[in-house]
Amino acid sequence: MTQTFAFSSLVPALPELFLTVAALALLMLGVFRKEDGCRQSTLLAIIAMAIALVLTSQLGGSVSYAFGGGEAGLFVMDGFGAFTKAMVLLGSAFTLGMSGTFLEREKIGRFEYPVLVLFATVGMMIMISANDFMSLYLGLELQSLSLYVLAAYHRDNLKATEAGVKYFVLGALASGMLLYGASLLYGFVGTTSFDGLAKVFGAEHAVRPSLGVIIGMVFVLAGLAFKISAVPFHMWAPDVYEGAPTPVTAFFAVAPKIAALALFTRVITGPFGDLAGEWRQVVIFLALASMFLGAFAAIGQTNIKRLMAYSSIGHVGFALVGIAANSVLGIQGLLIYLAIYLFMNTGVFAIILSMRQKGRLVEGIDDLAGLGKTHPAMAFVMMVLMFSMAGIPPLAGFWGKLYVFLAAVESGLMALAILGVLSSVVSAYYYLRIIKVMYFDEALEPFDRQTDRPMRLVMGLSALVVLVFTFIPGPLLVGAKAAAAVLFPAAAG
Amino acid sequence: MIAALIFYMFAAFTVGAGVMVISARNPVHSVLFLILAFFNAAGLFLLLGAEFLAMVLVVVYVGAVAVLFLFVVMMLDINLSELREGFLTYLPTGGVIALVLLVELAVTFGGWAFAPDVEALVQAPVQAAASGVTNTEALGALIYTKYVFLFQASGLILLVAMIGTILLTLRTRPGSRKQKIAAQVARTAKNSVELVKVPTGGGI
Amino acid sequence: MFAIGLSHYLTVAAILFTLGVAGIFLNRKNVIIIMMSVELMLLAVNLNLVAFSSFLGDLVGQVFAMFVLTVAAAEAAIGLAIVVVFFRNRGTIAVEEISQLKG
Repeated sequence: MTQTFAFSSLVPALPELFLTVAALALLMLGVFRKEDGCRQSTLLAIIAMAIALVLTSQLGGSVSYAFGGGEAGLFVMDGFGAFTKAMVLLGSAFTLGMSGTFLEREKIGRFEYPVLVLFATVGMMIMISANDFMSLYLGLELQSLSLYVLAAYHRDNLKATEAGVKYFVLGALASGMLLYGASLLYGFVGTTSFDGLAKVFGAEHAVRPSLGVIIGMVFVLAGLAFKISAVPFHMWAPDVYEGAPTPVTAFFAVAPKIAALALFTRVITGPFGDLAGEWRQVVIFLALASMFLGAFAAIGQTNIKRLMAYSSIGHVGFALVGIAANSVLGIQGLLIYLAIYLFMNTGVFAIILSMRQKGRLVEGIDDLAGLGKTHPAMAFVMMVLMFSMAGIPPLAGFWGKLYVFLAAVESGLMALAILGVLSSVVSAYYYLRIIKVMYFDEALEPFDRQTDRPMRLVMGLSALVVLVFTFIPGPLLVGAKAAAAVLFPAAAG
Repeated sequence: MIAALIFYMFAAFTVGAGVMVISARNPVHSVLFLILAFFNAAGLFLLLGAEFLAMVLVVVYVGAVAVLFLFVVMMLDINLSELREGFLTYLPTGGVIALVLLVELAVTFGGWAFAPDVEALVQAPVQAAASGVTNTEALGALIYTKYVFLFQASGLILLVAMIGTILLTLRTRPGSRKQKIAAQVARTAKNSVELVKVPTGGGI
Repeated sequence: MFAIGLSHYLTVAAILFTLGVAGIFLNRKNVIIIMMSVELMLLAVNLNLVAFSSFLGDLVGQVFAMFVLTVAAAEAAIGLAIVVVFFRNRGTIAVEEISQLKG
């Protein structure tokens, strides 16, 4: 059995390989330098992510497979993968950039932090490129295990460790359910490869899926719904968002969410693509429940991190509307939505990270009172982002929702679109309440001046993207459309 | 006949031990029943012809994971009575739901059917016993060639587990004394022994 | 009855899986028992995979089961580390009791 091995066959996985090597190198550097704090390794990790981003942008022109023969390969790189991986890398790099000085100020900066973020990012990229249930599972676990540790990263803090325990228990339960479902699917089809599954469920075979397969699919979808924190599998999100250190929360809210949604999309359009009749009801239910719970549960919140958890649950609901549409337009809407979500959320978390009174961190919504007078620039950025999240035209958030709902209408899901708009109106209430607190309430204690340059950069950038998107939407629309079309080869050809 | 009896023995012990894991009063007993469940599951693996996995289950699970559980249970000073609260209150509803789930799953599996042309999709068919390739050898031939990507990824997962556990639990206490071998070896009589001339009768 | 087929193994796995899920919901306070219940669930998955592998005549199921074993070991290590850290801060492993974070 002599097989020749060509290094060129690894090219589709080059960004992942590079990031892995970078993470290992940073780990060695951190161990041998014995420096306290994490500023330097954070900077190096961001540079590594930037290089990986460049590598990713060079791939994805065509569909290519790595690790295993042809379409049965374990790893697939295509336009969809390149687009979502670019978002994940941007999200990770932004949130990592915001956390360096924060952690040092809280005296919990350690070199393992950027290393774990890098490993989590590698896991997310493997998830996105999974073409087999085995690579899906290993990517997911690489990401999840890093995130469990990051949630409990502030190990002397009771809230953080409790968040870690809750996240771990529910995450492990979700993995178990996903695996059980995957084992049933394997048992029916005889392969774990996505292409093999798609072939069996495909139209030309016209296999009536047995009850076992349906149960397996439901278990897989439930496990994935846990990871994207869609209702009714959302219980962990508010606790973990509130308890984890704020930079970790910022990271959780952006990159893993985008990666898990991308994985959800790939699974549902790939192996389950021809079972749309079976999964559509499930996804519509998840979308509706998430949108409404996100809107109503957020109203009574007083802690801004908890509020952001419910807000992100609601955003997942809107994103799922795009998936429920099950068309190129729907996935395009999803990708646009996620890209805008990425910038809005990093911007808001940059502001939350700047909420400091006399060197002490505060997290209450009431603490924002009077921000309009004390820090006009920060308040303006927050106002723009809140209007955008509420979906008020002409800001970017409005367009994100519009594309998703248009896709739903085009796929005949009129009721879903109408209910979605209604929940969006409800959620506007609590976004506007924050603006009211900032501009019309009396300031009690002004925040400290934000002197951290990366933080101001992220704030400015996110506000700029949200404002400018209306005028130059072209690049994002075209990119998202090309990425979405990859998942529906039948529609294109 | 004999094979069937052996199957029922292993299956009954696995399930019985599983029941005890979740209902034992003392966590230490739970861990021990977990070990029993793993041993009998390894027996089931053997019946299915997965010899390597049966051995790995015993070595890795009983030898490492269960012992780790035992270590943590004994290290933490756990208040037993407090943790049992709620078990009996949740039992009726939880039991009914579990039973329904179980019956549904069992009914589904009663007549398990493969996809029609499942043989065509199988990627790594088992070679006949006559070929002389053992289970371990066949698995190795797959893991180090076709699935080397997964092998490396699981290596990364183990590395993350290592970093994570060290990051979370290792603490260097300022007061603890450690042996510094290099410093001890580097000591010489010149810099550690001082000869003092004490004048006789002068006192100190 | 005496011909042991695939369904027998699947049923054992289903019982183990149900026990694992039930164990999580019945022992809500004791994190260590919850983690053992997760191990039971993963054991059920492995039994499923090995049974399918055997009856399909396909080794991929066993490869999958091996990776599940590996990851489960790593998961147990991380989980126990988090529990230890939590115990150091709180002095108990009960999650629900006087929760700092309201569910």
